[in-house]
Amino acid sequence: MPMGHTATQQAGSGGLTATEHRLANGLRVVLSEDHLTPVAAVCLWYDVGSRHEVKGRTGLAHLFEHLMFQGSAQVKGNGHFELVQGAGGSLNGTTSFERTNYFETMPAHQLELALWLEADRMGSLLTALDEESMENQRDVVKNERRQRYDNVPYGTAFEKLTAMAYPDGHPYHHTPIGSMADLDAASLEDARAFFRTYYAPGNAVLSVVGDIDPERTLAWIEKYFGSIPAHDGKQPPRDGTLPDVMGEELREVVREEVPSRALMAAYRLPHDGTREADAADLALTVLGGGESSRLHNRLVRHDRSAVAAGFGLLRLVGAPSLGWLDVKASGGVEVPDIEAAVDDELARFAAEGPTPEEMERAQAQLEREWLDRLATVSGRADELCRFAVLFGDPQLALTAVERVLDITPEEVRAVAEARLHPDNRAALVYEPTAPEAAEADVTAEDAEETETAQ
Amino acid sequence: MSDAAATMTFHPQPQPGPATPWAFPAPERGQLPNGLTVLRCHRPGQQVVAVEINLDAPLEAEPAGLDGVSTIMARALSEGTDKLTAEEFAAELERCGATLDAHADHPGVRISLEVPASRLVKALGLLADALRAPAFPDGEVERLVRNRLDEIPHELANPARRAAMALSAQLFPADSRMSRPRQGTEESVERIDAAAVRAFYEAHVRPVTTTAVVVGDFTGVDLDAALADTLGAWTGSPAAPRQAPPITADDKGRVVIVDRPGAVQTQLLIGRIGADRHDRVWPAQVLGTYCLGGTLTSRLDRVLREEKGYTYGVRAFGQVLRSTPDGTGAAMLAISGSVDTASTGPALDDLWTVLRTLAAEGLTDAERDVAVQNLVGVAPLKYETAAAVAGTLADQVEQHLPDDFQAHLYERLAATGTVEATAAAVSAFPVDRLVTILVGDAAQIEEPVKALGIGEVTVVTG
Repeated sequence: MPMGHTATQQAGSGGLTATEHRLANGLRVVLSEDHLTPVAAVCLWYDVGSRHEVKGRTGLAHLFEHLMFQGSAQVKGNGHFELVQGAGGSLNGTTSFERTNYFETMPAHQLELALWLEADRMGSLLTALDEESMENQRDVVKNERRQRYDNVPYGTAFEKLTAMAYPDGHPYHHTPIGSMADLDAASLEDARAFFRTYYAPGNAVLSVVGDIDPERTLAWIEKYFGSIPAHDGKQPPRDGTLPDVMGEELREVVREEVPSRALMAAYRLPHDGTREADAADLALTVLGGGESSRLHNRLVRHDRSAVAAGFGLLRLVGAPSLGWLDVKASGGVEVPDIEAAVDDELARFAAEGPTPEEMERAQAQLEREWLDRLATVSGRADELCRFAVLFGDPQLALTAVERVLDITPEEVRAVAEARLHPDNRAALVYEPTAPEAAEADVTAEDAEETETAQ
Repeated sequence: MSDAAATMTFHPQPQPGPATPWAFPAPERGQLPNGLTVLRCHRPGQQVVAVEINLDAPLEAEPAGLDGVSTIMARALSEGTDKLTAEEFAAELERCGATLDAHADHPGVRISLEVPASRLVKALGLLADALRAPAFPDGEVERLVRNRLDEIPHELANPARRAAMALSAQLFPADSRMSRPRQGTEESVERIDAAAVRAFYEAHVRPVTTTAVVVGDFTGVDLDAALADTLGAWTGSPAAPRQAPPITADDKGRVVIVDRPGAVQTQLLIGRIGADRHDRVWPAQVLGTYCLGGTLTSRLDRVLREEKGYTYGVRAFGQVLRSTPDGTGAAMLAISGSVDTASTGPALDDLWTVLRTLAAEGLTDAERDVAVQNLVGVAPLKYETAAAVAGTLADQVEQHLPDDFQAHLYERLAATGTVEATAAAVSAFPVDRLVTILVGDAAQIEEPVKALGIGEVTVVTG
């Protein structure tokens, strides 16, 4: 049954095109023109994330990302931030399980500066990296961990769920922020070795999107990046293969000073890049995305047992994706009552599948989310890098929404039946330890990546 | 990797090319026959259209003892109409691929709709029904009240929100609405019912005091017809002019610790009130505040983050509370961030040193130049999306500013010198007129903070 309820003629790609190039040193380049606004986005994805970290050095990829802003051969100290901001640009970097990205959005006439800066640190970071930067950024990152996770109620829920869904020793067992002990243990030599291993032109994709002249942009890229020597010391990440389902319900009860009871759960879902992953995205949207979702209607509207109830999806390529359920209980409600209602809704959905109306709503929501990501040059640059790094083909970014719209209700039902059941669930139950309040909310989107500047 | 550095060819830092002129978009202003004001702005390529609605329903208009009724009303607007039940309304909205958010703040209620342009007309119809004929069913309002009561403990538990509530309670007189939480307290929310919500709606929501800002790519959309059929079909009575009470605050230097035994960090919020956008000093204040704490290369983070590692980041900002042409408005001027518990005393000591040094030595020309280049230069980036443009236009309406305020602000920033920016920053953050809220472990931080001599220290329970 075709479900082509597209909001735009181009089904989300907005008439975008992208060209691909490769320098002799292996750097892949993606360019996309758009002259509507005089801005240009530079995005650089390195194919390294927390999954490449080894035991005892969790958090190193993210700590290293911070060090990338501490200067390189021709850029002193905080110069990267100072020069970009002084040029009227904005910038940041983020680290997730599967990649590290760096991005600058510039007024179009300042594009060359951003390319020069990225090339300088790709080619010469270690000439500037010293013990002082390392110690300082170690403290900054530890404070980032405290601020975003440790000093926030439920702040470590995502870390706990990840640790349950991916067993000890698995590359996705730990989250990008890492542990305090490992952050303390990381040495300057670890950082140097990390750079030598992963920060190679052949392990990166550079995209430039916006008000650009592609020929001139490519010439600048060749000029600044072309002489960076190729090197190939990268080890493949540890194998992330896991059974499709957990095979039993895993369960942990957390007794902490939190404001209310909560039920959180992680489900193993299909790998990103498959039709099944898009089907799972639609299933989670029907069940727990927005105010017309089944779980919202059941728990928040009808049963009035929850303050908020929703599902999030963390798409992963090198391991099963993660569906994250988050339900904060209303006062006086017991978790088993919520759990029974959730199981009831999931089982019914697995049996019946989505209604045509639900399918239409979910596809419309995902389409708008996609249009939002494409509404900015930086969003487009990031998506082009994502598909180039993770799937080897940036063009897939331009057709992603069409793939979501091509999914059938039966595929959505089937993935729910296969994956959204208690034997594929890691459940985390929060029981408040004190009657008085402690602190508040966290979402899947917050916890899955960490960045340099808040 | 010195071997790689040695073999890479270095080039001098490139110089910028000629800048392409860019101006903040000028909206087209008009009025529907029912008195509703419309600002529209065509932004080619922006396929997700943003609609911002301003309702002239300020928090101070809430009846005594019913703090939070405006919030519940704002939420209840999307809980059913004369045509659809609450569930049907939510479903129809999401069928458009739309999102709808409503919140109540001091100047009024704001409703934000975002929807793909191809479904704008349908979504505008739903939005208009919500404004024109909200059902406010007893059961749904009661559910929203219970839900709101359940949210309160989560907010109190959040260190940043707890700090903001404590600062408002300290700064403003108890009889000012600004001293109390925007979304009400447990006690006041308990009293709210459907009748109270409807009474607030009847008293304060009408087309003649409403503005709709519509921004996006209108290619193929007959916006005039769409507006006439939707928001234009809303009728209502005229309104009496509203008089806003002046905002006053007690900014005598003092410290309040909201005790959180065992907290691994201390949340800092240091603030007072100052000039709003109607004041001539605004551009200089924006510039000076940016130099003090706008980004991680500003003065505060240069020391607290990049030198000392006490924090992930501390920011200084000015946030308009209410802004009126008669000069009775104000902005909250504040410094906010969190530091690890053991560094609380040293971090505050450094923070005060930064403020004293600023007052003694002023900003440098280089700092001012970089700040202007950033604040002016980022405008085309910042306003790429329809939502960003709509938000700023709606802020201007809410603050009784001309539609070209933002466009001219960039010229005024560029014309502001180092001396003016310094003066504005120093008078915005005088070291002896700042109220400091610390949400953290009192047993560990009280003594080090007392030793700093930045004001009397009081401890309250979390």
